[in-house]
Amino acid sequence: MAISLRNLSVDYSLPQGTAHALRGVSLDIQKGELLGLVGESGSGKSTVAFALMGLLANNARVTSGTATIDGKSFDLTKRNATASLRGRGMAMIFQDPMLSLNPVFTIGTQLCEVLRRRAPGSDRKTRVAMAEDALDKVKLGNPRRRMGQYPHELSGGMRQRVVIAMALLSEPALLIADEPTTALDVTVEAQIMREIIGLRDRIGCAVLLITHSLGLVTEYCDRLSVLYAGERLESGTVKEVQRQPGHPYTRMLFDCEVPIDRERHADASENRFTVIAGDLPDPRRRPPGCIFNGRCDVSFEACATVNPDDYPVGKEAQHSARCLRLLTP
Amino acid sequence: MSGLVATLKRICSERDGRLGLAFTLAILVFALVGPLVSPDPNAIDIKARFAPPELTHLLGTDNLGRDLLARTSVGTRYALTLAVMIVVISSVIGSLIGIVAGIASGWVDRAVTAAFDIVNAFPPLILAFALIALYGKGSATFVLLVTVVFIPQFGRMARARAQTLRTLSFIEAERMLAVHPVTIVVRHYLPNVAGPIIVLASMNLPVVIAFEASLSFLGFGVQPPKSSLGTLIKDGFVSINQSWWPTVAAALVLAIATLGATLLGEALRRVIDPKNAVVR
Amino acid sequence: MTDAVAIRNAQLSFGETAALDGVSLAIPQGTCFGIVGESGSGKTTLMRAILGLQKLDQGEIRILGNPLVHSRAALKQRASFIQPIFQDPAASLSPRSRIRTLMNEVGTVLREPHAVMHERLRVILNRLGLPQSVIDKYPHEISGGQARRVAIARALLMKPSILIADEPTAGLDVSVQGDLLNLLQDIRRSQNITLVVISHNLAIVRLIAENAVVMRAGKVVEGGEVGSLFGSPQDAYTRDLLAAWPSIAAANTKR
Repeated sequence: MAISLRNLSVDYSLPQGTAHALRGVSLDIQKGELLGLVGESGSGKSTVAFALMGLLANNARVTSGTATIDGKSFDLTKRNATASLRGRGMAMIFQDPMLSLNPVFTIGTQLCEVLRRRAPGSDRKTRVAMAEDALDKVKLGNPRRRMGQYPHELSGGMRQRVVIAMALLSEPALLIADEPTTALDVTVEAQIMREIIGLRDRIGCAVLLITHSLGLVTEYCDRLSVLYAGERLESGTVKEVQRQPGHPYTRMLFDCEVPIDRERHADASENRFTVIAGDLPDPRRRPPGCIFNGRCDVSFEACATVNPDDYPVGKEAQHSARCLRLLTP
Repeated sequence: MSGLVATLKRICSERDGRLGLAFTLAILVFALVGPLVSPDPNAIDIKARFAPPELTHLLGTDNLGRDLLARTSVGTRYALTLAVMIVVISSVIGSLIGIVAGIASGWVDRAVTAAFDIVNAFPPLILAFALIALYGKGSATFVLLVTVVFIPQFGRMARARAQTLRTLSFIEAERMLAVHPVTIVVRHYLPNVAGPIIVLASMNLPVVIAFEASLSFLGFGVQPPKSSLGTLIKDGFVSINQSWWPTVAAALVLAIATLGATLLGEALRRVIDPKNAVVR
Repeated sequence: MTDAVAIRNAQLSFGETAALDGVSLAIPQGTCFGIVGESGSGKTTLMRAILGLQKLDQGEIRILGNPLVHSRAALKQRASFIQPIFQDPAASLSPRSRIRTLMNEVGTVLREPHAVMHERLRVILNRLGLPQSVIDKYPHEISGGQARRVAIARALLMKPSILIADEPTAGLDVSVQGDLLNLLQDIRRSQNITLVVISHNLAIVRLIAENAVVMRAGKVVEGGEVGSLFGSPQDAYTRDLLAAWPSIAAANTKR
């Protein structure tokens, strides 16, 4: 069974006007698949996660959107549409693990609380055993000791492991990870990503990884979707999109990434970096035509007036991008 | 200026803010305008003593037939003048001392904190009696007393704020530019400390008003012939068996003044620092 | 030529933890030097020590040959040699002062006639792509990108020979970080400034620095010319760090 999000649009009402943070975003994630949602600041990527979880701020309004999780449909325009799924069908990992961990309760108490909701019939001993087992699965050494510790006694990476353990225990159909490793050192990042993959392998859930790092997505994800200024511009398998980016923005984004083994001038001061010139459009007033027009290096006249549909890229199935260039062979 | 207008708008957007602003403005108007529309506060008219509110005496008369509207108006003006003066002096002095202590750390900080603690250790009333014994009763002694009592409060807040500011990159950037320390204090610390200090000042205003009233009621604050709300309540209290009206008139004005100032101060605090908003 | 920055056996402990444990390094003038490490490595503490914001327990730091002394006179002298670019540039601009006031402070400190200072400022603002009208604004009235450039402009106005950038690209989208890096490269070349970059981003340091050191737990683990440091690292920790970064090679093997 798959996870499917259709036509999600979210508005934020601000003193300066209504910002259309998301416009008609659609995603599909298969069971056991890792989808990377890539977006920079202002893309609205976190808003997607919050809309799914029902955690949007008070000044946010979902103007359209349906989510289908495990066969059940949810109308996201209603507040708390997915409330029944929280802690059961859906789990979320945040950039700051302290958003999920209560500083005044021990790790053990918080893990057992997840179990109480998930397995209401169980007795305390079973819950403690399951919790310790989960901590062991996420490779937190000495689980028994950890159960009695408080969040502040653990490092950032360890806290994320606890949060992953909590997700493990709730056995979700969909795991949403919102910038889970951004605050962590790069060596810890690799470990935490492996834990998330481990989680996926164990439970077979769908994973939505939200990040600004293309590098992370190309290394760990199966498929990716690119978000820009509230609109989805491209979707496809990581392999295909890397090989043949369908949208100029995707291509430029890849160019901006700096891998560790990029070619290097002998004279360090000669090395230059790619930039995407220009600014994001005003979220209150969407300009006509393609949302990326104005910053695109290969746009033509029609791009300023025609809003592109989703067109297939190459011959591979399920790789599509919203660019008028794909129409001309 | 636009900041002021915006702040006023936000204060008016909630009920307590509107009430506070309304009460405070009413008291201000009363204090300023009262004497213009009422008879001489010192005109004695024994025949009309203890009159309840009527057309010629809108708030009635006291034990000597003096018009209460006029007297409470004058008393309010004096009480407010004293309170504002005290709050302004103590907040400015307290802020400067506090900022210096917050930046200097080391023995300067310890000395200042110790001084604050010593002053705070005295119950204000005891301190009052000590100062009165030294300097005699009167408004001057009162101002000295309350200023001294409130400096530590402002000082502590300014010090805490300065300690936080000290770690911020813009202060470090100024230090790295070798800008003169005094310039840094005046141009960069003071404006950023001002916010919480203003809020604290507006919340202390009703406290000072009430404290002055209490001291004057006991006979240790303002002395005749000057009158303040406290002295009026005292005078009315002495002859309360004959008429409760003089006491009530002054007490009512005091209540509105302190309530208004408190509500306004809290609304101001919520506006300036939404993180501090008390959940209602 | 004297080194821009020379550090000998710097020691600093906060309580029991050693933030700096015997750190020694030398930064040649006119080069770009990278100090890389993860959180807790001591790189930020080292930067603050070089700037004079943090006193060492032991050890010596020399800026352009002059020992770093913590007196007001020494600070004044150093201010025209070495300037920081803080991690959050917008936060490094005093929020309740206009940009003009902040720039005028530089003129006062350098004892320069305002006319002369403003002319220099005009040139610098032009080079950084900032409109002249930016000096009339308050820091919160300009965009984050502009604030970043204003902070750099002010640092440059002090005519420094050494610039220290603390995590210059942290929190920046990849599409805009290139802009800042290109700018730093330009400044470096045109002014022949020594640029010290503190960063956890090895990939970027590899491309802009001539020499670098890798720090861990307050110690310098390995250091040297960037080509050989990152090309054939000797230390296991350096190798682990490099392996954790996204690389073209890894992406290729995945396919």
